[in-house]
Parts: sequence; C-alpha cells; structure tokens
Amino acid sequence: MNQSLNYLLRRLGFYFIAAWAALTLNFFIPRLMPGDPAAIIFARFRGKLKPEAINALRETFGLTDEPLLGQYWSYLKSILQGDLGISIAYFPEPVTNIISSALLWTIFLAGFSLIISFSLGTLLGTIIAWKRSGKLDSTLPPVLAFVGAFPYFWLAMVALYIFGFELSWFPLGHAYGDDVTPGFNMPFILSALYHAALPALTMILVSLGGWMLSMRNIMITTLGTDYISFAHAKGLSSRLIMLRYAARNAILPNFTGFGMALGFVLSGALLTEIIFSYPGQGYLLLQAVRAQDFPLMQGLFMTITFAVLAANWMVDIAVLFFDPRTRK
Amino acid sequence: MVAFGLIVFNGCKNKENQNARRGLIIFQESQISWVRNFNPLSPAGAARWPTSAGIYEPLFIYNSMSGEYVPWLALDYKWDKGNKVLEMLIRDGVKWSDGEPFSAEDVAFTFNVKRKHRALDTRDSWGYLKEVIAMSDTIVKFEFKRIYVPGFDALATQSIVAKHIWNKIDDPVKYSNPNPVGTGPYTEIIRFDSQLWELGKNPNYWQKGKPHINKLIFPTYPSNEQVTLALLSGNLDWAGAFIPAVDRVFVSKDTEHHKYWFPLTGHTTFLHTNTQDPILSDVRVRKAISYAIDRELVVKVGMYNYTEPAHVSGVSGPMSKWHSPYLNQREDWTVYDPVKANMLLNDAGFNKDETGLRHTQDGHLLEFDIIIVSGWSDWIRSAQVVSQNLKNVGIKAKVKTYDFGAWISRMQKGEFELAIGWAEKGTTPYALYRGMMSSEYLQPIGETADVNWHRFSVASADSLFREYERTSDQNEITEIIYKLQHLFIEHAPSVPLFAEPSWAECNTKYFKNFPSAENPYATLSPNYAPENLFVLVNVQNR
Repeated sequence: MNQSLNYLLRRLGFYFIAAWAALTLNFFIPRLMPGDPAAIIFARFRGKLKPEAINALRETFGLTDEPLLGQYWSYLKSILQGDLGISIAYFPEPVTNIISSALLWTIFLAGFSLIISFSLGTLLGTIIAWKRSGKLDSTLPPVLAFVGAFPYFWLAMVALYIFGFELSWFPLGHAYGDDVTPGFNMPFILSALYHAALPALTMILVSLGGWMLSMRNIMITTLGTDYISFAHAKGLSSRLIMLRYAARNAILPNFTGFGMALGFVLSGALLTEIIFSYPGQGYLLLQAVRAQDFPLMQGLFMTITFAVLAANWMVDIAVLFFDPRTRK
Repeated sequence: MVAFGLIVFNGCKNKENQNARRGLIIFQESQISWVRNFNPLSPAGAARWPTSAGIYEPLFIYNSMSGEYVPWLALDYKWDKGNKVLEMLIRDGVKWSDGEPFSAEDVAFTFNVKRKHRALDTRDSWGYLKEVIAMSDTIVKFEFKRIYVPGFDALATQSIVAKHIWNKIDDPVKYSNPNPVGTGPYTEIIRFDSQLWELGKNPNYWQKGKPHINKLIFPTYPSNEQVTLALLSGNLDWAGAFIPAVDRVFVSKDTEHHKYWFPLTGHTTFLHTNTQDPILSDVRVRKAISYAIDRELVVKVGMYNYTEPAHVSGVSGPMSKWHSPYLNQREDWTVYDPVKANMLLNDAGFNKDETGLRHTQDGHLLEFDIIIVSGWSDWIRSAQVVSQNLKNVGIKAKVKTYDFGAWISRMQKGEFELAIGWAEKGTTPYALYRGMMSSEYLQPIGETADVNWHRFSVASADSLFREYERTSDQNEITEIIYKLQHLFIEHAPSVPLFAEPSWAECNTKYFKNFPSAENPYATLSPNYAPENLFVLVNVQNR
C-alpha cells in the first residue's frame, strides 16, 4: 500500500509541474496572436465606430503596455487567488461567472454522452467479442464504423435538419425551452433532457464505434490467453468468465482512453454546441478566440487543463484498483 | 421508458406554443448566452441591443434612408457665436420609466459623466468640448474649445441617462445597469435567463399610445445557420442576417409573410490599394485596376445580385444626393474598360510578356496578393472574380485568406497589397473622405492605423477637412463635399468595389408596419441603433 501511495504522490508532483507549464503557455500563447482586443472590437463595427473610440476602448478594458513579464506575475498571482479577471467580449462580467454557467451545460451534455457512449460501447464490444462471428459481430462494427466515418459536422447538421426542422421531433437548439424557468423543477428538467436528446444522440452515434471496436479487439486477444482457457477448464460459467475474467483485464486500455476523453469533455463538444446552439464551453471558447478575449481564453484553457489533469489522476487511481500489477 | 414518454409529450407541448405570439421575437446579436448589461454608456458591443435603441434614447436620430436628423428627445438646435456654441431645445413632458421628469439637467449630466470617465467617451467629444450646461429645464448649451461642427453627430446621437440614478453610481464604466430606467418605449426587464430575455413596455412613454407591441423577446442564436432555420420555421419575427439566395431559401417558404429588404446604405465596400507599395503608389496603376474590374460580374457572382456596382465617388444609394453635379466632366474609372486599363498599364511602363503577364522595368512579375478574412464567402468569391479580371489585363493577383484577427492586424499595419474591406461611415461623405485622404490618421507601415489602411493623404484635402469642420452652412458643406469628391476621383486613393447593402428580414404573420421598399420610413436592419427606434415605435400587432 505504501508503494501505491508513493506512486500516487509521484504522479501528483508530475501533474503539478504540468499544471504550471500549462498555465504559463496559457498566458503567452494568446498574446502571440496577431492583433489586439481593442482593435478587433473596433474593427467589428466595420467603419461605424469612429477612430476616436479606440483609446476609450483600451482604457475601458484595462489593456496596458506593461512588459509581459510583469503581466505574467500579476496573472499568476490573481489565478492563485481564484480571480480570472473580467471578460472583454462579455464586459463587465467576471470570467468565473461566465465559465461556471457554461461548464454545467457542457458537463451535462458531453459528460453524459461520453458515459453512455463508453458504457454502451464497451458492453457491446465485450458481447460481440464473446460471440465472435455472430450476427451482431458481423453487422455492428461495419455499420458503426461507417457512421463514425462521416464528418461529425455534416452528420449533426443532417440530424438537425431532418429531426429538428423537417419532422419537428426535436427542438432546433438551446438547452431548455423558452416556456420554463431554470431551477430545480420538473418542467425545466424534462425540457433540458428533451433539448439534450438530439445533440447527445449524434455524439453517441459517432463515438460508439470507437469504444466498441477497441474493446472488441483487446477482448479477443484476452480471450486467447491461457488463464481464460484455464477458467473454462475449471468449469466456471461463461458469464463469469466474460465479465470478471476477460473484460476486467481487457477494459484497462479503454479505461485510460475514457479518462482522457473525460478530461476533454470540458473543452466542450465544440461542433455540437455550435450546431445545436448549446450554451456550453466549446462555443464560449470559439467566441473568446474570435474576440481575442484574453481573460476568458485563459480561464477556459485553465479549466480544461485542470480537468484533463484531474481526470488522468483519477484514471491512475482507478487503474491501481483494477490492475494489481501497478501497485508493485 | 416513462422518461422518454414524458420527453416526447413535452415536445408536443412545445410545438403548440409556437402558434401563439407573446411578443416580437428579434435576432440582433450572435450570442450563446446572455449577459445582463444595459449600460448605454458602456463601450461598443457590451450592452444588450436595444439599450441605445429602445431603452435609452438620443436627442436626435439620424434616418439613414432619408439622410436627415429627426428630433427625438430634443426638438431643435442652433449654432451660435461663430459655431463655438451649440444650443439644443429639449423636449418637454418626457418622463423616465420610474415616473421622474426628464429635463435638460439629465442631458448635461450625461455628457459630464463622459467627461469624468474618459473610457466612456467613445467619440472623444471632450477633445473639442469645453463645457455642457443646462441653461433651463429645456435648454442645453454645448460650448466648444475648438470649432468642430461634425461633433454634432456624436452629441445628437448620445443616449441620455437619468441623473437621479447615475449620480449614485461610483464606477459607470464597469456598471452593468441590470434594471435600467430609461425614456425609451421599452424599459421593463420582464425576464432575464441565460438563453432568453424579454423586454416590456415603458408605462410612462412620452409618445402616447406607443409602442404597440407588449413585449420584445430575445432568444440566443449563436450562428447565421441557426438564425436562418429559425426564420424559415417562423420562430423569428425580425432579424438582420445575411441569407444566401434569400428568395429561394426564405421567401419561397411563405411568400405572403416572409419579407426581406436589403436597401443600399450609401456606403461602399472597397478594394483597398496600399499606396505605400512602390507600384500601387502610381495612380495610373490604381485606376487601371479599377477599369479592369467587371463590377457587374462581381456583384452577380460574389453578392447574389443583392447590391450594385460602386459609384466612382464612393457613395451611392441614399447618399447619392451628395454626388457632385460636375461628375460628367470627371473621369469615371469605375466603369468596366479593359482597353483603357491596358493602356494605362502600358503608359506606366509595365509591359506584357509572351504569356500575357506584365513585368516591372527591372523584370519582376507584376503580381499582388488580395487578402480577405477566411470564411467571408461573399468577399472571397468577389475577390476571385477580381483576380480573374486582373489576369485579363496582365496582372497576377492571388487571393489569400486570413483569420479575422490576423487580417485586421495586417490591414491596420499596412502589411498588404490589395484587400477587400470596408471604409469609414458617417452621416455625410466627410467621414469616408477623411478616412481616405486625411493625414490625421496616417501611420507609417508597421504602425497600427485604425483607419486609412491604404495610407494615402493629400494636403489640399487636409485643408478642406479643416474648412468643413468649421462651417455649419449647408451650402458651404455641400461645396466642400463636392471638392473632396473631385479630389477623390482625381487621386483614386482606393478602389470602390460595390455599394454596401444592409441585411434585414421580417415575418409579417403576427406583426405589420415594418419598413420596406414601399414604406421606407427607416432602415429595416436591426443593426442600426438608434435608428431602430423608428421601427420599435411603429410596428404593430396584426
């Protein structure tokens, strides 16, 4: 157990350094982009704003000519204090407020889609590997690989057009209906589920094949190993062998993949959110980059970085639990 | 299964709701979630529309269709003391939405807030103002420290805030004004959620019986595609979006109610020519490029025929009243004339080789890059036509696209040869010509110039601008504009490409009396605050 703890602590140290490196890049990379926020806001008005406005804009947004290093220190200081600054695109709203509302919707939509897609894909992969060359095994992989091969953008647009616009089975966008009040009440929850259904379905549809195929392939390798033959020889039930013996080992690589994907959930399903007008992180990130909203960009990248690191750490712990070999 | 059933049931319920209209549903800003900000003094783009076109009101409203100022919170104005003093007569009997009376005190207070907080002075009014004082309840006096008559635009269109509310605000720059008190037709925030907000009538509005519609509804739409879908399915009543092939895509779905009106704004989209480039600094080359362009084709291929070829003066549509009567004696280099283009290029010493391409005297190929924002498909198609046209006269022009940030930075720093872009807009062509020919905003290559990207100036224009800024006499103003126009035509500082339309769609199923080509009382496009006030007080339930 001591060794496990040691391992986890070592990993934690590594994550700490990774976080610092990410925060530093996070600060410098946006500033290497051409243009400055005030000039871009000015330009967006396409000549309707007078050139006299530009100084007023700079003053409002507090854009200074302070040397980068000085800005970097105050950036690190305010992050440690949990202050991410004031957004430029959504002036004068604090970045933390903007991110927190988008974060919830993204976790709800992308998180649930990922969990459903992962569980379903892994389960299907286990089953079709167990019943190799069965009916399911010969139909599911090609069909899902075919669907997964479509550009997601196109698939989602088509789904929105057919099911949303032509058939009106699903709403055309947004996270909840206009006739409900956000809060913990039944109409709102139902409305949120109804609005998430179509985007979630498209996301599950394209990602399901990947989870299923990788699980199936590792499962097949695992099923060929000696300890499985031995388990058969002992006369254990197929169900027990499939789930407790084979799948438990075969799931490890998939699980690592899941951890990574979980971290990237926060970067938002960018395309999904744009197509379905879903108020999540991905769309926010796009807005921030377009407007050169440094504070918002930094805030978003930071949440994404921390989410990826945290998810990885959790996978480390989970793998420790599933696979005793890592404890040594 | 139960959950699924409930979801479907909920869906059906949702569909029924679409058939009733609770208010006018508007799209003006691409947003994914709303931020509650109704600060009319806040810098561009921070406050929700219609903060300065419905909640708050200006003194005068410029009607871009008629080209005239319409008295609003003010009734009249007059220049005095050799244009060093401007007096405005303020409307009597106007009330704030909280019932307090509105007066000249509020007007003077608004300008003095901007004086104290320079970040709010987005028109740099205090660069020429000395003092703003309320002489009585109905008279405001603006005293100038330097004579600057065009400053009237900024003063007249300033949204006026309530003194009794704003004198308690410590930092009006960062104040988000969540519950606005205004003089406009719509002032009550009925609901504000991240995805939808609703704006109700002002109970004390000074125009009796107006507005006609109970409330305005603003759902979020993040992209043009979403707006188009909402328009097609009848979920949106008023929008200002670009829709390709609008007749087929939008109107044909419901020819009776789906309307659009894309009037010319009077302004122009340019093919900017960087006059600091050694070759483009030659006026013959710039005019040759202009002659070589088949603008009819550009408009057809690039702009779906939504607009018309540019006028040689750089202004058109409602601005045509400024066209000089002496234009027929001037060169018209916006007509399509490849023969003339070839002649000018031969004159300038760029000779064709056997492949038909031209070379400079020292043997380099005559070639330019046209830079465009990536994804702006109308401009990209236009540039491709231009590129083809230029090839026909022996100039090689490559279309290059950049991300908006990179593009604008190149434009501002003058790091381009040719580029499609907009130019300055104003209530008279003065703003355009100032951006085109004044040394005021001229910067060397590599320095950021917010206007005059093509980097051109001419001394005789500078003195005309000074004259223009000092006179309030209509005849003198017209004469100066004519002279500036002649200078523009002589020097061709940049090449006008096509007239600029504004985008606007409406659905007349539930509402009537939107502006249209037959009833052009204002522009239909919601992207013109405060002009949109005309629409908000005139639209009615059907």
